[in-house]
Amino acid sequence: MGFEEYKGIWVVAEASEGRSTEPAQELLTVAKELSAKLGQSISAVVLSGTSDDTTSTETLLGQLGADTVYSIKHDLLAQYQSQLYTKALSDLILAKKPNIVLFSGTPTAMDYAPRVTVRIGGGLMSNVSELSVNDNGELDGVKSCLAESMLVSYRTDKARPQMATVRGKSYATGQPDANRNAVVEVVTPELSADLAKTRLLEVQAGDTAKKKLEDADIVVSGGRGLQSAEQFVLVENLAAQLGAAVGASRAVVDAGWRPHSEQVGQTGKTVSPKLYIALGISGAIQHLVGMRTSGTIIAINRDAEAPIFKTADFGIVGDVFDVVPALVDALKKEGSPVSV
Amino acid sequence: MNIVVFIKQVPDNTKLKPEQLGEAGIPREGVEMMVNPFDEYALETALRLKEAGGEGSKVSIISLGSGSAKDVVKKAIAAGGDEAFLLTDPVFLEGDNTATALALANAAKTLVPDHHMLLFGQTSLDDGTSQTGPKVAELLEYPSLTACKNAEITGESTLKIMRETERGVEFHEMTLPGVICMMKCDYELRTANIKGVMKANKTQIPVKTPADLGLSSEQVGANASTTTLTRLWQRPEKSAGIKVEEADPTVAVEQLLGFLKTQKVL
Ligand SMILES: Cc1cc2nc3c(=O)[nH]c(=O)nc-3n(C[C@H](O)[C@H](O)[C@H](O)COP(=O)(O)OP(=O)(O)OC[C@H]3O[C@@H](n4cnc5c(N)ncnc54)[C@H](O)[C@@H]3O)c2cc1C
Ligand SMILES: Nc1ncnc2c1ncn2[C@@H]1O[C@H](COP(=O)(O)O)[C@@H](O)[C@H]1O
Repeated sequence: MGFEEYKGIWVVAEASEGRSTEPAQELLTVAKELSAKLGQSISAVVLSGTSDDTTSTETLLGQLGADTVYSIKHDLLAQYQSQLYTKALSDLILAKKPNIVLFSGTPTAMDYAPRVTVRIGGGLMSNVSELSVNDNGELDGVKSCLAESMLVSYRTDKARPQMATVRGKSYATGQPDANRNAVVEVVTPELSADLAKTRLLEVQAGDTAKKKLEDADIVVSGGRGLQSAEQFVLVENLAAQLGAAVGASRAVVDAGWRPHSEQVGQTGKTVSPKLYIALGISGAIQHLVGMRTSGTIIAINRDAEAPIFKTADFGIVGDVFDVVPALVDALKKEGSPVSV
Repeated sequence: MNIVVFIKQVPDNTKLKPEQLGEAGIPREGVEMMVNPFDEYALETALRLKEAGGEGSKVSIISLGSGSAKDVVKKAIAAGGDEAFLLTDPVFLEGDNTATALALANAAKTLVPDHHMLLFGQTSLDDGTSQTGPKVAELLEYPSLTACKNAEITGESTLKIMRETERGVEFHEMTLPGVICMMKCDYELRTANIKGVMKANKTQIPVKTPADLGLSSEQVGANASTTTLTRLWQRPEKSAGIKVEEADPTVAVEQLLGFLKTQKVL
């Protein structure tokens, strides 16, 4: 259908305001798989303000597999604004005609990626956890739907580029190869300030000492079984012992014991850590959809009939106030580092 | 302040049976339906903005769906919405989110031309694309912000918006008209009172087709879609795990640590 002129696999990163480019590093892992299949080169696109120092990011992206880095720099990109980011990236895509463009699943990328696809007339797969190339050389994506209960396989084969946002942690970050270098091409987009219809007023950065729920390899979550905000410290103790992030059921968030940013489930976060420990959580479907794709699931609940046991790989029927302190003690004695 | 809220009717996933999760597609017939959870927060945010906006403010509801979607827009009227429109036509239901966004953008423009802002849920429970809001924003050339948790009026045509992103909590000022997509908010949802329910029962819900919105056959359904679905299947159920009922917590914990070691987690 005349798509031959579209070549190359792109991964997009935002590097303004100190944003982490880790999600883009995960994208390079899948980009390398696709590149091996298609025999097409990999480019990373970095959007940032003129005064953001992106040198180390560009070097790293090269070491992780990018052949070219398009570093889109402009004063107006120093802060994220949907229409400016959309224009800057769309213009470059229209000029260079890549075959595939991959975005991370962060709230920022998920704001402008759909806009880019409307502007250039392509399609976008959302939040895919798996990407592959089919026999026709097209990009196939798999995502979950209906609150994680079903999976769908689909593609955006009617136009080019084929685009997708990739769910965080679906792919591991690769090992940098110190001998690899990307060619860095600085791109200056044409932007005008009247496109800036939003303005960042303030950021309250999360507690950086705390593990982010979405990024954690281990999550320890507590439910109403903890009985009070004070006694929730039990969850924190176990989390601290394991170097884990703290999560919560909605019952606990609604009761005001924990902030909504810690809620796991249908109206909270979807997490997929290697180890998920549910303490005093009954296992309502709305909670399960937020954690059922975790690697290993442990539940401690005093009700042997609690539905959480159906999803748990290992469950202890018991009182959290007895079992969790014993577990913390045992882990302390064990002293063995957690190897996830 | 005239606000449009986009509300989608979705299957109630807590009531679905495994046999309904087949290859045939997302079940929408013969299953219990409900308001998409995040859209309830979009509606609540709109009602709060209307209250703050004072005299002359209104909240309009737009939903694209089958005839049964009338239930969810009636519910929104009962909670305090002023008017509602239902986009219903078999061809609408054949479209993906690109087609839906085009229909919704046209509906906002033609049915509520005096709108100041458009409110969406962050993601729908069934399709879960999180794309519809930003796409409508792009079609109308409006600014957009996703992952929002609060919005306050700060001026004639400005809002202060709180969102939660990969960096923490951010506050933005947005110049209207604009699009915001709501997550679960920290405030409670209101429940409809008797008066609201009576009003909802009396309110006529105009039904609109593609032609009413000035959309040609190329602009709706499969023709306007940009994705091709190849397969749909149920996520494999996990096999039953181990369950210990052991009175002595130290023994139970020992077994747990043993298990974690065999799983190579410890
Ligand atoms: C639209 C909608 C969206 C929702 N979204 C979410 C969501 O995102 N996330 C979410 O979590 N929920 C969500 N819910 C709520 C969900 O349905 C449940 O109400 C909630 O998950 C219950 O939380 P819980 O398990 O902590 O509390 P409960 O269901 O009350 O369970 C407490 C559990 O603790 C156990 N227990 C009590 N004491 C002890 C003890 N001493 N030792 C050990 N075990 C003990 C009990 O046996 C029980 O199983 C949503 C609901 C709706 C309607
Ligand atoms: N058919 C529809 N009718 C009304 N609003 C919709 C429809 N589809 C999506 N939306 C809106 O777009 C949001 C995101 O949906 P989605 O892009 O499917 O994840 C929803 O929360 C709704 O606010």
